[in-house]
Amino acid sequence: MSTNTIISLKDIVVEFDGERVLEGLDLDIHDKEFVTFLGPSGCGKTTTLRIIGGFVAPKNGDVFFEGKRINDLPPYKRQVNTVFQRYALFPHLNVFENVAFGLKIQKLPEKEIRTRVLEMLELVNLKGFENRGVNQLSGGQQQRVAIARALVNHPKVLLLDEPLGALDLKLRKEMQIELKKIQQSLGITFIYVTHDQEEALTMSDTVVVMKDGDIQQIGTPEDIYNEPKNAFVADFIGESNIVPGIMKKDFLVEFAGRDFECVDSGFTPMEQVDVVVRPEDIKVVPTIAGHITGIVENVTFKGVHFEMEVLACGTHWLIHSTQSQAVGASIGMQIGPEDIHIMHKMEE
Amino acid sequence: MKSKYSALPYYVWMALFTIAPLILVLVFAFTDNNGAFTIENISQVGEYTNVLVRSVWLAAVATVICLLIAYPLAYIMSRLGPSKQRTMVMLIMLPMWMNFLLRTYAWMTILENNGLLNRFFGLFGVGPFDMINTQGAVVLGMVYNYLPFMILPLYTIMVKIDNRVIEAAQDLGASPLKVASSVVLPLSVPGISTGITMVFVPAVSTFIISRMLGGGGNLLIGDLIDLQFLGNAYNPHLGSAISLVLMVIILLCMSVMNQFGEEEEREGMLI
Amino acid sequence: MKWLSKTYVAAVMLFLYAPIGVLIFFSFNESKSRANFTGFTLDWYQKLFSNEMILQSLLNTLIVALVSSVIATVLGTMAAVGVNSLRKGPKALVMNLNNLPIVNPEIVTGVSLMLLFVMFKELMGRVGMNFEFGFTTLILAHVSFSVPYVLLNVLPKLRQMDIFVYEAALDLGCSPSQAFFRVVLPEIMPGILAGFLMALTYSIDDFVISYFVSGPTSQTLPITIYSMTRRKVSPEINALSTIIFAVVLLVLLLVNFHGARQERLQRRKGGAAA
Repeated sequence: MSTNTIISLKDIVVEFDGERVLEGLDLDIHDKEFVTFLGPSGCGKTTTLRIIGGFVAPKNGDVFFEGKRINDLPPYKRQVNTVFQRYALFPHLNVFENVAFGLKIQKLPEKEIRTRVLEMLELVNLKGFENRGVNQLSGGQQQRVAIARALVNHPKVLLLDEPLGALDLKLRKEMQIELKKIQQSLGITFIYVTHDQEEALTMSDTVVVMKDGDIQQIGTPEDIYNEPKNAFVADFIGESNIVPGIMKKDFLVEFAGRDFECVDSGFTPMEQVDVVVRPEDIKVVPTIAGHITGIVENVTFKGVHFEMEVLACGTHWLIHSTQSQAVGASIGMQIGPEDIHIMHKMEE
Repeated sequence: MKSKYSALPYYVWMALFTIAPLILVLVFAFTDNNGAFTIENISQVGEYTNVLVRSVWLAAVATVICLLIAYPLAYIMSRLGPSKQRTMVMLIMLPMWMNFLLRTYAWMTILENNGLLNRFFGLFGVGPFDMINTQGAVVLGMVYNYLPFMILPLYTIMVKIDNRVIEAAQDLGASPLKVASSVVLPLSVPGISTGITMVFVPAVSTFIISRMLGGGGNLLIGDLIDLQFLGNAYNPHLGSAISLVLMVIILLCMSVMNQFGEEEEREGMLI
Repeated sequence: MKWLSKTYVAAVMLFLYAPIGVLIFFSFNESKSRANFTGFTLDWYQKLFSNEMILQSLLNTLIVALVSSVIATVLGTMAAVGVNSLRKGPKALVMNLNNLPIVNPEIVTGVSLMLLFVMFKELMGRVGMNFEFGFTTLILAHVSFSVPYVLLNVLPKLRQMDIFVYEAALDLGCSPSQAFFRVVLPEIMPGILAGFLMALTYSIDDFVISYFVSGPTSQTLPITIYSMTRRKVSPEINALSTIIFAVVLLVLLLVNFHGARQERLQRRKGGAAA
């Protein structure tokens, strides 16, 4: 991964009708990276993308592209292209004309336009669809046209605004893999907006988790998943058991009525903390062998594993296990030191 | 629902009051006073070629002016916020709800020789100009009366253009002018054709605007028809023949426009 | 850019409203002049309200409008129910015929109806009966050009309606007519109402067709206005315009206010559901 910064946002503030959408956002995006803005709706991720695209002017702060301030550059002069939510294809043009649109604006010779469009349609698996009307295409095909239309201009950065949101699950998975492949083969920067954590984790080099116009955490998917910085990130990135605890000293935490060894350190002794345990990290064992004992309240089969709700020490725990237990049964729960993540309490 | 028969009364009504009268026009156009077949009436219409040409020409000029004025306005309207859009639509419709006789009368008082405009010019020592009883005044009256008929269909179609499609064009490097010519214009073609029809048809068949603002010298097709039915020249046979020619002119105009518009859109627009 | 478009909108609005403003302004003018304002007066309003002819024609207009739009609404709604159950081909034919009076120039509709009524009058004359142009011809003509609009308003509502709603009513023990009045009618009521209002406004506003089919005793307001404009100087027209403008403005404001409130309610409901 190259370390040179291609886009840099400095202290960006955005207000809509007096309501703050972004609060002093700072962010550097590196060249050739697959960056994902992840967060619930209303967190400011799409707004951030639109600032880079040039469709939203920040009230305060600067946008830099390759070191040059581009705040006042209109969208049609920026070297970035966008794949819009629900595609925004030109309904009056066919597939070829849609993809060729940007090149025609640049007044390239017909011949070059033709080669580049066909090349691009081949890349997105739409060879032979040139003369179709865009309304005759399926959602997945329209999606590919939208991607081709943006990429054919050889942008240095491609912005994708929830591009897979309208597709069904199976198609989404296929497109995720395909998009990642395209990004790697073209070697350009992708900035991807989604509210789907799984999508973010599978595709990205870097994930930017956002909430209420603020960045919560920036890191690789592994970092974000394994070392969430706070309860919001932990909760948003997959299902988690988050319970209050007390950090007794380095490598020792008390929660659920007993002490656990852990791998975290650097907290003030006796600090109130949040303890995160992933559902798949809790091992189900006979009651005598468990750290905690609980009663199974509910079991749901989820395809590859069983999801169990277990009441233990006054808390409902979520456990994923490949073996089912009877409802009402007493079970033991074992949690290893490396499965425990300690986080500072979030100030609300 | 098996209620096909509930439409029967309306079918009878249509036959009596829509279809039968039009057949009567056809019959009258091709018969003389004694009820014998003749093409005399139709050939007599040829004597009024200058009136036909003038009607089509003035209506066409008014339609083009309406389009030029309405197009930017409709686009500006379609990009406003929802409550501002509602207010604008209301402002456009309000004059339309005033009876058009009153609206035309208003221009009479403004344009006449000792009217408001000429007095205004008088303040600067110019004029008075002959404005009333000219072809210009007739065109002005048409533009004023039918401008909303052009604005509203254009606005209806433009409001459907997704903002994201416009942003996509900008994103792909299109300047504002290019966005207008290569995205907004082609997407608004059905609105343009509906607007043209809705302005041209009443404009080419009007007889009040020409009478009130054009004086006696600028007769239009409508005036000719009126003269044959309620005027001194009472001759329903010739009047029917002229009506038939008028319908043919309009049918031609509409079939040209239909090439561009989608049927579905037009149905919605009329409501 | 913002500044330019604002100026443009203002210019078009000036064009649309200046003439009406002039009418209103001179309705308070003491002298008959249409260019010189000599002093404020309400005389023209007083004259207007003591003008028998205008008051009578206003009454005529309202009678014709109410009667014709009620007939048109019933006829059009019944027609919509029937047309909705037609197959595609016959439906297209009926709709094309239905749209004839809408696309035909008004003057042609007017003279064609006049021809029909003249013919009928002659036929009646031959059998020794009397038939005169008047309320009957006016109402027949107004119904004829109003039904198409009612049909166009009601039909989409029927099309949108879930067909199973009707079947559910039958399933629950309604007879077909009960099902229609209890389930279908409430569902399409907005369309019927819109059609009725449209018929009413078109009828009140119509000049061209009425001009050809009205008799001397059944002058409607637009026809009276027309004869007033022929007499060139009649400042009562200014007063009448002002009143009509005020009424229209009031109605539109009410409709708009109602629409805005409805929309806000809808949004709140939608928000609660989400």
